[in-house]
Amino acid sequence: MQDVALPDGAGLEPETAQAVPEATPPGDRRAARAAMQARIIAPVKPLLRRAGLLSILSGLLWPVQAAAIAWAVSGWAGGALALERSLWAAGIFLLCGLIRAGLDRVAGGLLYRAADETIAREREGLIGREARRPGGAGSAAVAALAVQKLPLLHPWITRYHVAMLRTSVIPLVYLAVAFWFSWAIGVVLLVAGPLIPVFMALVGMAAEDASRRQMDEIGDMNTMLMDRLSALLDIRLLGARARAAEDFETRADRLREKTMAVLRIAFLSSTVLELFAAIGVAMVAVFVGFTLLGEVGWGSWGNGLTLYEGIFLLLIAPEFFQPLRDLAAAWHDRASGVSVVEELEAMDAAPRVALLGEGTQAAPLAGPLSVSVRGGVASLPGRALPLPDLDLSAGQSLALVGPSGVGKSTALSALAGLVPLVEGRIEVCGQELNAGTADGWRARLAVVPQRVHFPDLPLGDWLSGGRAVDEGTMTEALELAEARAVVDRLPEGLQTRLGESGGGVSGGEARRLMIARAVLQGADLVLADEPTADLDALTADRVTRALRRLQGQGAALIVATHDPALAGAMDAQIVMTGEAEA
Amino acid sequence: MRALWRVLKLLLGASPKAMARGAALAVTVLLMGVALLGLSGWFITATGLAGLAGIGIAFNVFQPSAGVRLLALGRTAARYGERLLTHDATLRALAALRVDLLRRQARAGGRALARLRSEATLTRILADVDALDGLVLRLALPVFAALLTHAVVFAMLGWLAGWPVALTVAAIYLPLAALVLALLARAGMAPSREGESEAQALRRGMIDMIRDREALILGGQLAARETALRAGDARARAASGALDRAERRAGARLSALVALSVAGALVAGGWLAQTGGLDPARAAIGIFVALALAETVLPLRRGFAELGRMVDAASRVDPGASALGDDREGQETDRAEAPILSVDRPEARFTLQRGEALALEGPSGVGKTTLLLRIAGLMAGEGIAVAGHGPEDWTEDALRARVAMLPQRSALIAGTIRDNLALAAPEATDETFWQALEVVVLDTVVRDRGGLDARLGESGTGLSGGQSRRLALARCVLRAPDLLLLDEPTEGLDPATAARVLGNLRAALPDSAILATLHRGGDHVIFTERLTISRP
Repeated sequence: MQDVALPDGAGLEPETAQAVPEATPPGDRRAARAAMQARIIAPVKPLLRRAGLLSILSGLLWPVQAAAIAWAVSGWAGGALALERSLWAAGIFLLCGLIRAGLDRVAGGLLYRAADETIAREREGLIGREARRPGGAGSAAVAALAVQKLPLLHPWITRYHVAMLRTSVIPLVYLAVAFWFSWAIGVVLLVAGPLIPVFMALVGMAAEDASRRQMDEIGDMNTMLMDRLSALLDIRLLGARARAAEDFETRADRLREKTMAVLRIAFLSSTVLELFAAIGVAMVAVFVGFTLLGEVGWGSWGNGLTLYEGIFLLLIAPEFFQPLRDLAAAWHDRASGVSVVEELEAMDAAPRVALLGEGTQAAPLAGPLSVSVRGGVASLPGRALPLPDLDLSAGQSLALVGPSGVGKSTALSALAGLVPLVEGRIEVCGQELNAGTADGWRARLAVVPQRVHFPDLPLGDWLSGGRAVDEGTMTEALELAEARAVVDRLPEGLQTRLGESGGGVSGGEARRLMIARAVLQGADLVLADEPTADLDALTADRVTRALRRLQGQGAALIVATHDPALAGAMDAQIVMTGEAEA
Repeated sequence: MRALWRVLKLLLGASPKAMARGAALAVTVLLMGVALLGLSGWFITATGLAGLAGIGIAFNVFQPSAGVRLLALGRTAARYGERLLTHDATLRALAALRVDLLRRQARAGGRALARLRSEATLTRILADVDALDGLVLRLALPVFAALLTHAVVFAMLGWLAGWPVALTVAAIYLPLAALVLALLARAGMAPSREGESEAQALRRGMIDMIRDREALILGGQLAARETALRAGDARARAASGALDRAERRAGARLSALVALSVAGALVAGGWLAQTGGLDPARAAIGIFVALALAETVLPLRRGFAELGRMVDAASRVDPGASALGDDREGQETDRAEAPILSVDRPEARFTLQRGEALALEGPSGVGKTTLLLRIAGLMAGEGIAVAGHGPEDWTEDALRARVAMLPQRSALIAGTIRDNLALAAPEATDETFWQALEVVVLDTVVRDRGGLDARLGESGTGLSGGQSRRLALARCVLRAPDLLLLDEPTEGLDPATAARVLGNLRAALPDSAILATLHRGGDHVIFTERLTISRP
């Protein structure tokens, strides 16, 4: 192993090839490391360098402080003027101490900035991508990465590089000082010092694997818990409460084990390092003591040591080891940082379902409303679903019917530009539906989806979609969808926050609220997925009437439905048969 | 604050022996560290003096040098033991706290469960519990160890190096450190709270955005939502920046405090050496001890900076609330001769025997779901008896063994089809699972998807609405209940499939009583009776 004098971390990178269980070629691994370095460290390198210099400056003041103490105490032996000497020494010690505290504080500020910039950048990337182009990771796992794991980069950025810089300067300076007074002490430090990085590299590899396992477990536990919480009512009704709690207990306990595995390695390595340092310091103390007594005549260039030199060396020795120990501790921070970056990279590489367009507010697509589908095949992960050919123009209505699972919902999604096509084309308002037109197209659409998901917003804000809507328009829309009574019955009215799957209102009520929302959007095409699915005949009839009323106001309609009454109320029906399930 | 105490007690009480041993070791580590530097300093000064006086041979070097080695090794070992013990005990207690929170959540009533926002609960179980790990490790334990160490050091220093030195060191360390840390706790309280709550809001916001993506895209709101999340992130980071500044300020003050204390010990020692005729080697001990005591205060700033976050987290996970007994006492056997279900309420009166099936009808919002939830014991209500006892009089397990219910919005879990089915019947064989899937006419679909090991995504995505519904129904079939409550079992199914499913259900569970709410299909042959529910 190289000594600690290398200017950047190259010499301290462990040879990971043998220790890693997966047979990753060392070249790949090194390339991955370089990529990580470029991604996380390179953008903040100047800040890190400045912080490192300040920190080194602070470290170089310690010998001055040590000399002040040594000078004072060695003066006490004479007895005379001990107090005056002590006052001078105390003054110097205190002054240097204050300067060091100030330097460390400024360096800390620079480091914080470096870490903060990095976390901000990575989080920004996740926020801007995960809803736009989902990659199959659970929402809870993504949120855990962005909020819980990204901050783990913080210690890596703030500690590792500074420790590396300090290690490349301070121990060498101290070593030179030690050799100046006594070659024997210099040799002790020289032997004990480099053992620390060697050991650190050995443990570091194990630490990295353990950290990776811990990270995975954190994500898994998040996902599992989120899932079980969403299904808690079912779990209770199935009498599976105890079982679900036990499953979770196993998971929670597994996370504890994985965390302890990481900690155990960290503790063990820091213990061994502390041991080297402690033995080094103890040897220096004992050697200095014997030399001072005159029992050891070798080791100090022939003239023995003075009391002043002895105390100075004793104070220098622990600080010689400190940067090395800091580096070793930071190695673990680096290990967990690296596993976070690996997860980020894995997420970057995941196959993603593209969305057409940007999902922003856009000016509605110009021209009279028209939709036509020719030979379309929608691309879903691992499957392709054929779409029916259809034509629709302003004010017309159409029902898609067919057995469960035939792809009615997918057809609606494709028409809204949520699912890309692998074949064929969809034309809207006379233009092809593509990335350029999708946002403008969606501005003319309203969708009543099959699965209800109420976001954590007051009902009124959700209904209006964030637009300013006056009370009269709101009432009118609620009345058209026959949902006014629903809102009136809620204790907090439009201020109510509903459960995420619509808990707090019945299934039929949730559906009517969604239709009111479609009305408020003022769309000229409404896509409705099973709008009467869980309504009684009377209410279903009302909803059908509401939809007809919408059409009466000039909107076009496409509904996917099993309900013959609703299908019959549309101007035309298309029966879907492709890839039907049994 | 009271909640924080309760959490602290819970964490310490989870494995008191390990904690006590850990605390003892923590004190040992600090004391040995102080002793090591003090002894080394004394040893070198004393040997230096002896050397000067020419009495080197007479000086007993072996005991002190053995002491130095012993302290060096002992401290290292003690630190390892302390860290392992306290971290393991804390993590165990935290894992138990998480499970307890989930259990508490699962005991909530039916309405509360239906209205549950899982993101909020998730954050409580994960982030809040995480926030509490520092309570013992970075606050309680280090403060305790520091105080005890200072007390012991004060006595030893007074005895060895003289009371002026001991007083100087203690008078600088204790009040000033307390002041610095109190200021830190005060300055850090608001940003620490805010940072945590903003981070939690960000977590919830991201989950919400991803789950709600289709609606956001359709509404053209996605970019606006992203902007809102970015603003939340900026607030979270601004708060953590403020906290970092407070923490660094405190760190600099503590370092200055250590320097001041060493300087004080230096002056006091010099004064004693000049006037009191104290042995200079002993006078030197104070300096080295003052230096070594830095280890007692510097690590404390972390814990104090996190105080605000911990107080908030503790109030949300307050274990005080879990002191309620676990599961209720109650009936475990049927009352002889009683019908499996009798309802005598203003909105409906009927009895149901095993083998019968009743269709409940009535307009949306009339209270059909509420009645089913009452029968399932998830909402309080008079006038209902399941096998002769009120639903709330049964033990949870006995009631679930008799009554299965398909809720209005059934939820699947991520994992395989088998995982989902096993939730209802952990011991069942594959053959039983396939039979249940046949009953709900889902066997072909599952076979096409690759069998029982086919994986479903978050909340069971990957199946269509009607397929999910039938899988949930299959779980109820696997329970083979005496009373099966079905809230809109045919929602999302085409009429032909719906009719087949209902027929199969009756054939598979010939002895069960079935109570279903239906908007359509109440005229199916399996229903022995139809009842229109009236507004209560």
